[in-house]
Order: sequence, then C-alpha cells, then structure tokens
Amino acid sequence: MAICGVGESEHTRASGRSAEAIGAEAVERALEDAGLAPEAVDGLMFSGGLGPQFNADAYRKHFGTKHEMWTSHEGGGMAWAATAPARAAEALRDGRATAIVNVFSVAWATERGQHKAGAHARFHLDEPYKANLEVPFGWFPQPVYFATIARRHMFEFGTRPEHLGAIAVSARRHANRHPGAVMREKPLDLDDYLAAPMLVDPLRVLDCCLISDGGGAYVMTSKERARDLRKPPVGVAGIGEALSPSGSHWSQQAAFTATPQVTSAPAAFAMAGIQPSDVDVLALYDPFSIVTLMQIEDMGFCEKGQGGDFVANGGLDFDGGKLPTNTHGGLLSHAYVLGISHVVEIVRQLRGEAASQVEGARIGVYGGYTGERASTLVLEAGV
Amino acid sequence: MSNRFPLPDPDFAPTRAYFESAAAGKLSIPRCPDCMRWDWYPTGSCPACDRTPTAWIELGGDAELFSFSIVRRAFAAPFRDCVPFVAALVVPQEAPTVRIPTNIIDCDFDALVIGMPLRVVFRVLRFEGIEGQVVVPQFVSKASAIEHSQSASGP
Repeated sequence: MAICGVGESEHTRASGRSAEAIGAEAVERALEDAGLAPEAVDGLMFSGGLGPQFNADAYRKHFGTKHEMWTSHEGGGMAWAATAPARAAEALRDGRATAIVNVFSVAWATERGQHKAGAHARFHLDEPYKANLEVPFGWFPQPVYFATIARRHMFEFGTRPEHLGAIAVSARRHANRHPGAVMREKPLDLDDYLAAPMLVDPLRVLDCCLISDGGGAYVMTSKERARDLRKPPVGVAGIGEALSPSGSHWSQQAAFTATPQVTSAPAAFAMAGIQPSDVDVLALYDPFSIVTLMQIEDMGFCEKGQGGDFVANGGLDFDGGKLPTNTHGGLLSHAYVLGISHVVEIVRQLRGEAASQVEGARIGVYGGYTGERASTLVLEAGV
Repeated sequence: MSNRFPLPDPDFAPTRAYFESAAAGKLSIPRCPDCMRWDWYPTGSCPACDRTPTAWIELGGDAELFSFSIVRRAFAAPFRDCVPFVAALVVPQEAPTVRIPTNIIDCDFDALVIGMPLRVVFRVLRFEGIEGQVVVPQFVSKASAIEHSQSASGP
C-alpha cells in the first residue's frame, strides 16, 4: 500500500472554526495533492474518541456527493496516525474501498478560549482513580506527569536541562523554516531556553506542546494505483503497535522512563526489513521534549539513557544532525495536531519536497505515542 | 467529576479506606493475603488472579522519594493559592511496587533529592472556595520529621 496524497489545514491560534471545518480543509488539500476527485475516495478514517471529527456525512455534505463510504474510527492522530494504514490495507485487500483518507483535526485553541473542557481534559478529571489519588495532590495534568518522568530520567541517566533544550531548539529551528508552522516567526536558541522560567520544574513552557487549531489528512491506495497518480508514491513498509503492560496510569508504569516503543519499533523495523541505522528522517509524537528523548532511546537509535548526548549540539537537525527529527517543528513548534502532520512531513521528505529537506531521504519513520500505547510507521520512497 | 473537585470523592469505594485510614492517622495500602501482591491503585481484588479479595494493611509510614516535580503555575483554579508546590511519587518502605502520588511539604525545594527518606504526615486538605475537607497522607523529609519530634519532646 502507498500514501498518494497529503494535505494540511492552516495551523493557527484560536480560529473560531470547528474541527469538522478544519478537517474538511485538510481533506480538500490532500485530494488536490493526490489528484483525486471527491467521489474517487470511498473510504474514510477518523478518530473515535476525540470530539467531533470530519466523518462520512460531513464528507458527503462538504463535497456535495452521495456515494457510499467505508469508514473506520481507528484512524486520526496520535498512535492511530501510524496504525491507520494497517486497517486501511485490510479494507483495500477485502475490496471494501479503493482509496482511503485518514483525517484528524482539532479546534482546541478555539475551545480553550471559550473555556470548554474538551474530551482530552475531562478524561483526566473524570477517571475516578486519577480524580481521587492524583488530582487532589495536584499530580495532574500532563505537564506534571512528564515533569516527574523527566526528573526521574535525569536521576537515572544524567540527562540535563541542556538536552531537553536541544530538542526544543531543533524543533523551533525547523518550524522557523516551515511555511505552515505556528512558531515560524519566533526564533529560539539554547540560551533563550535556559533563561526561560519553569512551568513544572524541570519542564519549561518551551518543553510543552502548543495548543492550536488545525488538521491534516493523508490518502492511501494500492501501490499500483498510486504510481499513476499526480505525486510520487510513498510506500508503507512496516507498522508496529504496543500497549504498556502496566496499564494506563503514568504514575504506575513499571518502566517509568520508557515508552512502549521498546516493543512497537522493533516489530515495525522487522516488518520493513530495516535497522534503526537505515532511517533517514524521523518524526516523533512530542507532547513534551522528554517524550522525544525517550522514544529515540526506546526505538533503538541509541542506548537507553544516551538520548541526551544523541540530541545535543544539533543532533536532530535536518542538516548535519545524527538523525533529522521533527523537521516540520513537531507538536512543540509546528502545530498541535497530534501527529497527523508528522506523517504528512515524512511523506513530503520522501518525495523530496519538504521545507527543510533531508538530502536523499529514502526511509522515514513516524513514532506515535499516547500514554499506554505506542506505534511505529515505516515509510519508503520510490515504490 | 465531583462538584467538590479537586477533593477526593468519599463515595468512590475503591479508595475510601485509603482516606478513612488517613483520618485515623494511618497509611494503608491493600494487599492480597494469599500471594502478598500489593493492589495499587486499589481495585479490591488481587492484581494477579483478580479473584482473591485484598485487605488493607497498615504501613509504618517510612517511604522513599521516587520522583517529583515543582508545580509553579496552577493548572486549575483551586490550586492558585497552592503554587509553588511539590507533586511527587513516593514508594513506601514495605511496598516497593507501589507509587503513591502525594505532596512533599514543609520542605526546601533545593534539598529534594530522588531516593531521600521520607516520613508520612496526615494533613487536612482544603481548597479556597471548595466545600469540605479531607485528611490525606503527605510526606516530609525523614530528617526534618526526626528533628521535629525531638524538639517536640525536648526539655
């Protein structure tokens, strides 16, 4: 199977638009990129659990069509941005669809301005164990979990603030070069980072994802069909997925300073027949700088605990880094669209059309992470 | 979400005994009487077999600092008067697989070190503008706990 089209909405601070409208814009641009008419897409994947999404009814209404569509809510962003192609491949194989779009969009900046607690926030307050054992002590929300993880990582492995800063600085440098990035106009160097105040010590605001409105989409079809379409196809070479054996509470993870990428990535790499050293460009779900660091280690790009040295001194930069990572700026500096733009960026890299192009990129990987769940998508150029 | 947010909900059965114990000045965690596995977060049954009912065990109150963060900006209105504060995970001496989310209180932030010995204390948790209060286990550095008890019993 191949990815034959990608598209993104505008990425903005509060836009006043709905997630559905933003999703429609992303899908429109993905179809344009693929050179496919709206009726030619007969499959649609979206998120099952993160508020209203651009579903089949919205699709038909937006494009003025009446056609039947195979749908799946095992799509969207986060870990599912990596695993949607596995479900899509089954649907293609079984003849339930011939071209499938995976779309994800959020309007969280707008919703925050309206003081609506979205599904993402309510989850933490409504889950009764969190509400009774974590929330009363202020051990919530996500910045507190990940500050606590970062502190432990520093204790176990000697990771330093400069290492987390290197991740934020690389992401920002890439965003400064990316036309769609929310932080395009705001440069950041390591001195700026170190001088910034703590939000939840040891994390600064600069270690945390943005909140923005935006969306993205990618179109999947068979490799044969993709070869006849407008853009060079990008092949799906491997997919991995893993759940933590310690349940869904961050506080109780047995492997406190690791992610389920330790299981997910090797499976995806084996399926693709590659080694970590074969990867030319990487995109990692990065709600916090420490999550980038842990995934780099857990996916086998360096020894566990050596991530700090790996990312230091421009180790993630698109030009001359050890492994160019989040070359669009990631959730830290591009936009908070929960990983869908990470996949879009990898596709653009493998087509040779990225804003911060990694020269000769042939193999690209997306690492998705959603708490107890991690996933890995290996893409290859020129299929 | 309870309208007493962010206080614990006394009607949530699995954690009721945790807070009742705290009100009685005890730190208790449930454990399977057969295989001795700790049942944390409490479900009421053994985490291994999911059948044997677990029983609440009173612990001695010594613990170790597993990790912590210093919350400098409030993420919800009731915590505005609390910042900066230390949100921590601590491991009780008798239960190395248990991590308790709690606060380290009466401490010098700069003196906090992962692995440092801690001592449980029981404090009334209340929030400005929120009805009700709950006694909860929090922790202090063991060194300062010894100092306090010595000065309290001193001449």
